[in-house]
Order: sequence, then C-alpha cells, then structure tokens
Amino acid sequence: MPHTLNTLSTLVIGYGNTLRGDDGAGFLAAELLRDRIHRPDIEILSQHQLLPELMEPISRASRVIFIDASVSGRAGKVHRIPLRPAPACARVTHHATPEALLAGAQSLYGHTPEATLYVIPGRNFQVGQELTPSVRRAVNELVDALEKELARHFVAAP
Amino acid sequence: MPRQKIVIDPVTRIEGHAKISLHLDEEGHVEEAYFHVTQFRGFEKFCEGRPFYEMPSLMARICGICPVSHLIASAKACDAILAVRIPEGAVRLRRVLNLAQILQSHALSFFYLSVPDLLLGMDSDPATRNVFGVMEANPAMAKDGIRLRQFGQQIVEWLAGKRIHPAWVVPGGVGSPLTAENRDRILAGIPEALAIATRALDWFKNEMERFREEIRSFANFPTLFMGLVGDDGSLEHYSGKLRFLDAGGHIVADYADTAYDNYLAEIAHPWSYLKTSFYKPLGYPDGVYRVGPLARLNIVDGIGTPRASQEWAEFRDLDRGAVLSSFYYHYARLIEILYALEKIEQLLHHPDALDSHVRAHASVNNTEGIGVSEAPRGTLMHHYKVDRDGLITWANLIIATGHNNAAMNRGVLQVARHFVHGNKLTEGMLNRVEAVIRTFDPCLSCSTHADGRLSLEVELRSHKGELLDVCHTR
Repeated sequence: MPHTLNTLSTLVIGYGNTLRGDDGAGFLAAELLRDRIHRPDIEILSQHQLLPELMEPISRASRVIFIDASVSGRAGKVHRIPLRPAPACARVTHHATPEALLAGAQSLYGHTPEATLYVIPGRNFQVGQELTPSVRRAVNELVDALEKELARHFVAAP
Repeated sequence: MPRQKIVIDPVTRIEGHAKISLHLDEEGHVEEAYFHVTQFRGFEKFCEGRPFYEMPSLMARICGICPVSHLIASAKACDAILAVRIPEGAVRLRRVLNLAQILQSHALSFFYLSVPDLLLGMDSDPATRNVFGVMEANPAMAKDGIRLRQFGQQIVEWLAGKRIHPAWVVPGGVGSPLTAENRDRILAGIPEALAIATRALDWFKNEMERFREEIRSFANFPTLFMGLVGDDGSLEHYSGKLRFLDAGGHIVADYADTAYDNYLAEIAHPWSYLKTSFYKPLGYPDGVYRVGPLARLNIVDGIGTPRASQEWAEFRDLDRGAVLSSFYYHYARLIEILYALEKIEQLLHHPDALDSHVRAHASVNNTEGIGVSEAPRGTLMHHYKVDRDGLITWANLIIATGHNNAAMNRGVLQVARHFVHGNKLTEGMLNRVEAVIRTFDPCLSCSTHADGRLSLEVELRSHKGELLDVCHTR
C-alpha cells in the first residue's frame, strides 16, 4: 500500500456530523480549506469522526491541525488549543480523542507531531445541514487564517 | 431467594445502541434473557414520496460502517424498477466495491471490536480491553488491523470517490469506470493485505484452544443457515440464489432471491425495535436461521479462490454438518477477508476491468423492485414499490441483524446460563454475555433503520420485576 507512505508537513483533520447543524463546522472547514490548498506536503481530511486508522497519517506529519465543533462556548468564536498526546480510556472505538490518536501515533509508528485543536463553539445541533450564521462566519474566518498560515509557514516533513 | 433480573446497558463494542436483560429464577439460575435494541429510525416510512433514483444515496445514510452494502442492494432494487440488465463492467465494479466494504468492515469487527477480548482475555480489565489496550499489548497486531481496514476504505474511496456515503453506485450501474491508475494502486496493495490476513488467521487458529468454553457456549445450537450462493453453489456476495441449509449440513432449499416473501416472515417483539425474521415453512421458532460469514461458509459448496479454499476446507472440518458455534463467526470473517482480497485481485485482472460502458439508462418500467446482496453481516434485502412517476409508495428493508435476531437472543440465553450464577455479577461474566453478541457483529443502526447514540446495558431483575443491578457504559 505504497500510496500512504509520503511524509507530510501538515495534516489537517476537520471532523463532525454535517447532518447535525453546527456539529459539521469542522468537517466543512476542512472541505473549504481543501478547495484552496493544493500542495503535496499538506493533506486535508474531512471526517465524520476520529478513528484509530488516522494514527498512521498523523505519524507521517510534522504537525497536525484538528478542527472540531463544541457544544460549549460562545457561538461565533474560535479557540486554539495546543494538544499533547494522552492515552485513551474509552471502551468503544467511536469516541477516539485527538490526544489518544497522538499517543497512538507515537506508540505504534514511533512519531507524533506538534498538534493544535481549533474548537468552533456551535449553537444549533439539531437535524439539518445549515450552520448558524455566526458559526458560518467563524468557519470562514478560520479557513482564511489557516490558508494564510499554511502559505507562509513551511514545516519540514519528518 | 426471589427471582431477579440483571441488565447490561449499554452493550459495548457493537455498532448501535442496545441492552441485555437476564431474568433469574428463585435459585439464582438464568431463566430468560432478552437482547433489546433500543434505537428506532424508520427509514422505510420517511422515504415514501421520494423519487426512486434517490434511494441508493438515501439508504446509504442508514449506516456509517456499511453504507456500500445499502447502496448496492438499493441500486439493485432500482435496476429492477428500470428493468435493465446492467453492463458486465458495472457488475464487476460493484462486486469489487462490495468486497472492499466487506474487507474494511470485517477488519473493524475483528481487530477493533473482538481482538480486545481474544488477545487480552474475557476477564481482563475493561478499562484497557479496547483497541488502545491492543496497541499496548501487541502493537504489530494493532498496526495490522489499522492497515487492513485502511486498505478496504481506500479501495472504496478510489472507486467511489469517498469512504463513507459515496454516491457512485447508481440505478443502472455505476457513475464512472475504473481508471488504470486506481486499478494498479489497488493491485499494488493486495500482497501486503494478504500477508496481514494470513497472519491474523494463523494467530486466531492458534488461540482457539484458549476459548473452549466460549466455543461450547457462544450461540452453539442447531439452526438453519441462509445466504446467497452462485449457480454452482460457490461463495457469492453480489447476486445468486438464496440457499437454506440445516444444522446437519443438508440443503433445505434454493430459492430465487427476489421471492423472499414466499419463504421469509417477520415478527415484532415488545422488548425490541428490532424485528425477528424466520423461515416461513418451519414457522417460528423452528424456522430460526443465521446469516453472515458463518452462514455463508456453511452453505457453500466451494469458495472459488485458492488460499481461501484451503482455509475453508480446514474450517469445514470443525463439525460433521454445519459449523454451529457462533464463536466461529470470527474465524469465518477472517477467511472471508482472505477471499475478498483474492477475488478483488481476480476481478481487477479481468481483461475488461477498465471497460468504459458502466451504466444502462432507462425510465420507470416496473412499479416494483427487489435488490438482494450479501452485506458484511449477512443477507440484505431492499424492496420498493413506486407509482408511475417513480415516487416511492412503499419500502421494506430486511437487514442482516434482523435475520440473526432470534439466534442472538438464544445465544445470550445460552451464554448467560453457562456463565452467570446468582445475584453476584462479575465483569467477566457480563463481558461474555456481550461478547456473544459481538460474534454476530450486529449493526443496530442498520437493523432499526436511530438517532445516533451508541452502546448497551445489562439489567438484573427479580421474578417480581424488581431491578437488582444494572451495568452500563456511556
């Protein structure tokens, strides 16, 4: 499976359920970013949820950016949280955390990257595909900011 | 001692939300057991009024694990509404997609959900009895599991554009032909995936001896088995006839897959949203049957790929008739992984693998269509009726987990009687009650066609209905 063996300067993982209103903010941010950035050293993934198989691409990156929605916080804001690897204690596989994936990347593949989580607080998590206007603005602002940051900031692949 | 009831809620490491209740008699022996599926969605109802050609994409949303299975059964039902014979090239590509889906789903079931029990032990600490615990205990095996699932998902993405909820399978065929680049990428990955599948099979066969008690008590009883077989009786996941086999290994009947209404019936139980199917000629409960990997390897006369055939011959030596213990679902799943990889390789080496003719076009020519295929967990049936404008007026979905419902309930009772004694519960006892459910790899979101919450509960109740103990994980 040689396709997955390239190394990455940055891996972006936006995740959430696009059928649950603002929960899809991270997923949609990744989709928007992918439309704008076309560099072989940057991979952008939009996911419904975090799963163990993400450990492998995470281990190939120099840094990873997670983007997720949050039920707490003021809608329309974006919070930037540095992450550190932390072992998981979940009994099921459907609730992997970014910290657990970082720890898994280290223990299975011998490398874990610098990692940041961008959290976009939402207001409406009911069934529906529309983002709340303030959340939509926050997504657009984050995508603009990440596009600029990724354009000027080159990190050597591991 | 009064009669009592134990509740396990939620059942963990399964796809969906459920609970188990165990009823104890006055001596503290398990008298009855129920597997309750507590989620409800009702896809059959809310698709009414939608154009039939939306159905594959709409039905794929039933599940995030096996959307491809719903896509395929749904598209086949729509092919029947169009009354078209789809191009051979489209059939081959649908087969590859279905096998890739089976590959990634089986890898998830075995490595992520069941290896924690098999590697770390049924009585090990539940806090680490998960895929992350496997990573600590046996990193190479964890990497194998991740790699195999990743490969299956990657094939789905290369063929269909995305891993979850792709819309590439359409009424009349598929949306686009296979490119040479993607064919070569898939073929390049097969040798490594075959090596992983072989390692997992060898490991499982060596470990089986440690699970004698579980083999003896995990839904190990006579039932019928059902699944698709090819015209020559070989293993089949896309189309063929539906075969029923009895516990002695004798063929009961081969039927046209689209005539399911003649030989299958469903009943509802008050304790579950999951309906129970049974074989009509024998009635309920004599007509209880099982589907999925164990059933498929029991009903066939041969496999059709070299390495999987060798493994199948060894597997069939486990019993004189059909292999009855549901513990062997794990074994059958691994053989099917091997088969899927070999078969994908065969299909992609076909001289017309890159054929550009992959879709037939027509308008509504029938007002009814039935699509049947084998999903990872067993036989999947989609049945639609439309009006002259092609709008859905009625839909019925019979899902693998529904076919297995009666056997899962009996299996829970058998395991509970074997391992649960008195009103003092141990975690290892309850884990075995859950683990028998995991052997079937049920998908409860599919089977109730639910509002997204996950997991299972075990209740202990007295004969007066008093709740004595509850275990659950959120």
